[in-house]
Order: sequence, then C-alpha cells, then structure tokens
Amino acid sequence: MSTWHDLVTASLIGTERSVVPAPAIPGLPATEDGTGDPAAVLLDRAALLTAARRAGRRPDRAEPLPVCEPDPRPAVSPAASRRLARMLADADAALLIEWLTAVVARGLRPAAQHLPALLDQARRLRSKHAALADLVAQAGGPRARWLAGLNPDWGFMAAPTLPGDDAWRLGSRGQRRAYLAALAAKDPDAALDLVKNGWAAADPADRIMLLSVLADGLGPAAEPLLEAVLDDPAVHARTCAADLLARQPGSALGQRMAERALRCVRLERSARGPHLVITPPADCDASMRRDGITPGPAAGSAPIPEQARLLREVVARTPPRTWTDSFGLTAAQVVALRSGTWTPVLFTGWARAAIAQRDHDWTAALIGHALAGRLPGTAAEIQALGQLARRADPVRGVPDTLPELWPDAPPVVGAALGVLRFRYDMLKELDHDHSG
Amino acid sequence: MTERWDRARVLALAADASSLRAAQPLASGRSWAVTGAADESADESADEGADEGALWGECLGSAATPYRTVVDLSGPAYRCSCPSRKFPCKHALALMLLWSDGAVGTNGDPPDWAASWLAGRTAKSADPKDVKPPTDPAAALRRAEQREARVASGLTELDRWLCDQVRQGLAVSQRSGYRHWDDIAARMVDAQAPGLAERLRALAAVPYSGSGWDGRLLEEYALLRLLAAAGRDQGALPPPLRDTVRSRIGFTVRQADVLASATPVRDHWHVLARRDLDQDRIRTRRVWLRGRRTGRTALVLSFAALGQSLDDSLAVGTATDADLAFYPAAVPLRALVAARHDTVPGGPPAGTTAAGLLAGYAAALGQDPWLDTWPAVLEATPARAPVPGLYDTAGDALPLHPGAGECWPLFALSGGHPLTVAGEWTPRGLWPLTAWDEGGRVVPL
Repeated sequence: MSTWHDLVTASLIGTERSVVPAPAIPGLPATEDGTGDPAAVLLDRAALLTAARRAGRRPDRAEPLPVCEPDPRPAVSPAASRRLARMLADADAALLIEWLTAVVARGLRPAAQHLPALLDQARRLRSKHAALADLVAQAGGPRARWLAGLNPDWGFMAAPTLPGDDAWRLGSRGQRRAYLAALAAKDPDAALDLVKNGWAAADPADRIMLLSVLADGLGPAAEPLLEAVLDDPAVHARTCAADLLARQPGSALGQRMAERALRCVRLERSARGPHLVITPPADCDASMRRDGITPGPAAGSAPIPEQARLLREVVARTPPRTWTDSFGLTAAQVVALRSGTWTPVLFTGWARAAIAQRDHDWTAALIGHALAGRLPGTAAEIQALGQLARRADPVRGVPDTLPELWPDAPPVVGAALGVLRFRYDMLKELDHDHSG
Repeated sequence: MTERWDRARVLALAADASSLRAAQPLASGRSWAVTGAADESADESADEGADEGALWGECLGSAATPYRTVVDLSGPAYRCSCPSRKFPCKHALALMLLWSDGAVGTNGDPPDWAASWLAGRTAKSADPKDVKPPTDPAAALRRAEQREARVASGLTELDRWLCDQVRQGLAVSQRSGYRHWDDIAARMVDAQAPGLAERLRALAAVPYSGSGWDGRLLEEYALLRLLAAAGRDQGALPPPLRDTVRSRIGFTVRQADVLASATPVRDHWHVLARRDLDQDRIRTRRVWLRGRRTGRTALVLSFAALGQSLDDSLAVGTATDADLAFYPAAVPLRALVAARHDTVPGGPPAGTTAAGLLAGYAAALGQDPWLDTWPAVLEATPARAPVPGLYDTAGDALPLHPGAGECWPLFALSGGHPLTVAGEWTPRGLWPLTAWDEGGRVVPL
C-alpha cells in the first residue's frame, strides 16, 4: 500500500519519470480513477492527504524531565524583573553584578524566565568577570543548576570542585583562584606561603591573579609580600602590586605618594580666599617608578603635558584622606578650591583615588561638585565622572539630594545623574520587595 | 497652511499590509513624473485645525501611461487611474508618504485632471448628507469585473505552474533558488492576487527548512492547487467558504464593511498571545484573543512600516470587555475591535489537553483546509526529548515548532512542573508565545 512518503518521492522525481501512487485514506472511499494530467492527480491526492494527515494527527510521547527542587526564596517584584530585562539587553556586567549581589543579600531570587539570559551572560563574560558566574549560580539557586543540567552551554555552572589541594595543583585558573581565596579566609599565613612558594613557577597572568586574591583576602597582611614584588624583575607583576598597594588604605606606598603629593599641591590663603598652588613633579624619578608610575605617555591615554600627567598619577595613588587631614577641610571644600588650569588634572586624579580606595565621602563630594555646574570639560574628566557615578554609594542617588538637571546641562551630567538614579532605584526596588 | 501628516498617520490609512508593502517602493521621487500639493484653506471661514488641501501626482508604473493619483486631504478621499479597488491604493499611499517626508512641493494650482475631481468633491461635501467619496457605480462595477477576470486568469496560470513543478520534480525547484518563487509571486501580484503572491514568496524558504522540506513543499503546492481550483469555482461554494477562499487569494474586505455587516460579539476578551512578524519592510502584529463567555478565539491584526511602532492597545495577559466584529470566513478568526467598554481582570486562561487542541484544529480544518495557524492554550509540562515539546497529564505530547528556537525561558519557568502555555499550533508544531508562572503571572516568551 502506498503512503504519503510515496507521493513525496514521486513529486520529487517528477511525474514525467514516475507513476502517481494512490495512497488510501482510512474512512474515505478509494480515490478517483486518476485519469487526466498525472501532475494534477498527484497534487489532488496530496491535498486530500495533507488535510487528512493534519486533521488526523495523534499526540506523541515525551520523556519527562527531572523535577527541579523548590527554591524557598521569593522572586523579585515585576518592576525589578523589568529592570533586569533592560540590564540584560544592555549586557552591562558591572550593573548586573551589583544587582545580583543585592538580590542575594536580600534573600531574593531573579524571576525564573530570566535565568537563561543570565546564564548566557555569565558564560559570555566569565573570562572578564569571574564574579558574575558565581553570583548567577547563587542567585539562580536550584533552578539555575537544573537548567545548567539541560544545556551543555551552561556546563560551567556545574564545574565540579576538586577535592583537597587538587584544585590548586591541577585546576584551571578559576579553580585555583577559588582555592586560594578560601584558604586566605581560613588560614592567611598558609595562603601567603602558598603564593611565595608558587611564585617562581607562576606565569604572568597567574601572578596577577595571585596578587589580587591576596590583596582582596588579606588586606594589610598581604602588604609585605606586595611591597617585595615592587622589586620584581617582571614589569607586569610590579605594576599590579603597586596598583593593589595604592588601593589599600594605610599602605606604605600610599604614605609615600601622600608625601609626594603634598610637595606638589600646597594650600595658600590669600586675600581672595584659599586656593591651591601647584608645583608638578619635575620628572619621573626612580622612587616614583618603583611605586608604579611609568614615565612617558601611557598607551591609549590622551596626550597631555608630561608634568600634568605625572601629577595626575601621583594624586590618583594618594589616599584622598591626605587632603582633608592636612588641609583641615571637608572633601567638598577641598574639591571646590581654586587651582586655575590644574583643575581638570586634580579632578581626574581625585576621582581615581576615591574610586580605588572606595572613599564614599570623596566620591560624593566630587560628584556633587561636577553636578553643581562646575563641570568637567576634558575627556578624562568626563570619563572620571562616569566612573564616579557607577561607583558612588547608591544611597547618594536619593532623588532629593541630587541637584535638578538644568536645561542646557551637558549630556554627560545627565548620564551621570541617570546612572545614580538608576542604581538608587534598583536597590530601593529590591528593599521594597524584601519588606513586602 | 495644512500641517503635514506624520508617517504614522498615513500608514494608518492603509487597508492592509500588502498595500503598505506595495506603496513603500513607490514612495520615492524617482517613481513620480509629477507631484504637487495645494493648500485650499484660502477660505478664511474654514474650521481651525481642519485638514484642507490636496495632493496629486503622476506615478510611473508598469503601464504605458502613468497613473494619475489625487488625494483630497479633507476626507481623506482618493482617486487614481490604476485598476486597484483598494482605498487608498498603493499610489495614493505612496503619494501621501512622499508628502509626509516633505518631498512634495506646494505649487498652487492642480492640473485639470485633478482639479475637476477635486471641484466635484467640494461641491458634494457642501451637501452634508453625502460624505462618501464619489464613485461612478458603472466604473466601479467595470473595475470589479476587470479584477475578477485578472484573478481568474492568474489562478489558471498558477494551476499550470504548480502542475509543471510536479511534472518536472520538486528537486528542480530546489535547485533554482529564490528567483523561482519570486517570479511566479510577481505574476500573482500582476493578477491582483496578493494573498497568493505572499504564500508563494514564503515558499522560497521551504527548501532550506531542514529535512522533510520536500514533503512540506508538496503540501503547500497541493493546498495552493486546491485554492486555485476553489477560486475558479467559487460560485459553487457556500458563502462562508467563498469568503475564506477570496480572502486567501487576496481580496480584502474594508473595515467599514466588516463593522457594518458583522453582528458584534461582546465578551471579556482575554489577550492570550502576540506575535510580530517582519517581512518585506512591513511589520505585522498578530494578537490572539479568547472570549471568556463565548469561548471564541479571535485574531486582531495590525500593520506598521519597519521602525514604526505597532498597536499596543491589547497587552498580553490583560482582558478587555469589548465588542468584536469578525471578518466573514468559514472559520471566523480575524476580527476588529468595534467597541471597547472596560478593562477587566486578566489571569491565566483555562488550558486544554493535547488531544483537545488537536481535535479543535481538526474540526477547524474541516471548514478551512488551508488553516495552518491555530490558537493554542495548553496545560502541559515542557520536555526535551525525543524533541523539545510539551506533554499533558495524559502523557500526550506535542512538539515545539523547530523555528521557535530552544525556548529556554519556557523550561526555566516550568522547572519540570506543568504550566499554562499559549501559542500558535501549526503543522510543524507549537510556537509558544506566552506562559503563566506558578504565581499566575503572565510571561511573554
């Protein structure tokens, strides 16, 4: 007996070279005698069979999936879900990390329908933002693990933790990082020893990873090791250690920078009020180079006069408290001091220092200064303001403490205000979820 | 001076997607030998804000002489020497789009051929009883007859072409590429059967649609021949089936006629699902509704040019107390919102089983064998094997449409538990569009 398949085969070959099959349809009398154009006969039989096959379709069978274990945490509100969808579309890793951290801290979870997109982003960004994958795993909970079990693309979620020190000896860089961070939390001295012993064999990328884990995990206890690395022959490791030390409040490097900075920037009180007098560094001496300042224009940075650049680099590594403490003024007052053509250099330097040391007073003072109309004008300042808005304490984004946007405000100010409000609203929304 | 209309206002006047699509390539200065606009609000007593003025142009089409198009903006009303029975025709739409873009100069006096019609309209509009555009009934009848004849010969040509394909073998069509279907589609456009043209153009993708393409192409060819046969013999069909056949060929029914002839159906209409399709620079939005009391399903279509926003008034997951007017058809699905009374609470609709869905589709196919998109609301659990699909409590499973992708959000929502899913059932499987989570909240997929 012929079937639909025979009709398809005949139509594929063509009725010029094949006989028209006559498939029977259950419940219908045999088809007509089939005289006339064979092509037309074939099409008519196919039409009848198409309708019959579509109308007579039977359901299939399927293999049930394992059932996911329940997640007792409530999902975030619809408003927070809509915001997450926007952030996912923008693929903004920093904001996603901030949002997920807040979600986890409040005992909430993202709505299930967003987990696939979160897993995709974590996979795409995991070489640059290792923290995102961890956060997606935490926030996504059992449902994210269940999904990862269905899609090999998300296999990274199910990466097994290696037993004992196998993770350290045999693991990927991510696993080594996790092992070291865990050890640093439990036994700081053991973590330091592990790094010291492994230093010679580590490649440059590994060294940077080791240093950053120690700096994050140990704080001041890592300082002697970092200070020693400042004399390492490898330039990469030196720069990394200097950056980490500059970020560490109270480090000796920060103290050395503060001394340099105070030699360059002096507070003078004249009849026209206090102002800053600037004597930029003459050149980049050996001690500055040891502390991570490289001579000559850095690749990719805007060409500015060398002395101004050196001043900016010194200020950027100087703990912001240096200024408030030695001038006896608040951050807002220091930022408002007149400094003539040096203003943009100081603003960018202070912004970088405030971000590096996570100094919220200074961040707020700098943003307030920029938003009050004493605007940054240079590209570097605009970039600095953008960074500040992303790092500032979001509580400072409270709508009524922010200045109103004036009519001809430059786009950069609007953008900075927008980012602050976004971050404030984002966290507020989650708090509301939590209490509700 | 008459304020120029924005594009959205012009596009909203289009009778359907195919006239929008046809108008776009003509909305360029190159297609027009002459264009002009007149501001007729010289009459100081004219109502403030009333749209006044007229547009005219000569469009260089395929015909030997250019088509002459006039638009009276106060109606708006249209007149064109082309054979189209659509109001506005693609030429009038294109002329208005051109004007909307600022590409039509204001140059005082219309040419005689435009002026005479406009003068006739002014005289008529002075009579408040007569608000309809003036039509010469004899001419309209002649145009209608002309179109029927063109379509009939188009149907014969299509039938011959379909038989040729099967005679040579479908393998030949596969090798000949996109042009193959574009050519016959263009001939159906010439024959004023845009519905057939659209179906044929869509076929170009079938040979690239994966294994089983030959069977799918044969199904489409067979159903097209059935449509051609039904179209040539439409006098013998019962009226609802005839309406279905004519609409599938591409005869449009004006919205005003639908509103005038259909008995409106009032119900609480649940907005089940929405799907936007982009083709040929036109976006089509399909919104599926289900009446809570009547259990009827309705399809509301809207159209926009690419980059323009579509009608957002029916939000998925909400419900509206409204009167719907259904287009005449053997299986009436397409409808217009005739009147909207109130917004009522939404919530998940009641889902059916796989068997229930298939039975409903089978019954509809008995009325309209060309029906290949059928609204579905299922109570089911997603599965990955043997193919991605959904199964109900009886264990009956239906596959997901392969073109719908992985549908990971659907799986994420389910976590291995049953949920309510709405979408479009097609011969290739279910295209999921909406799901309701365990809290009963709507999630567009």
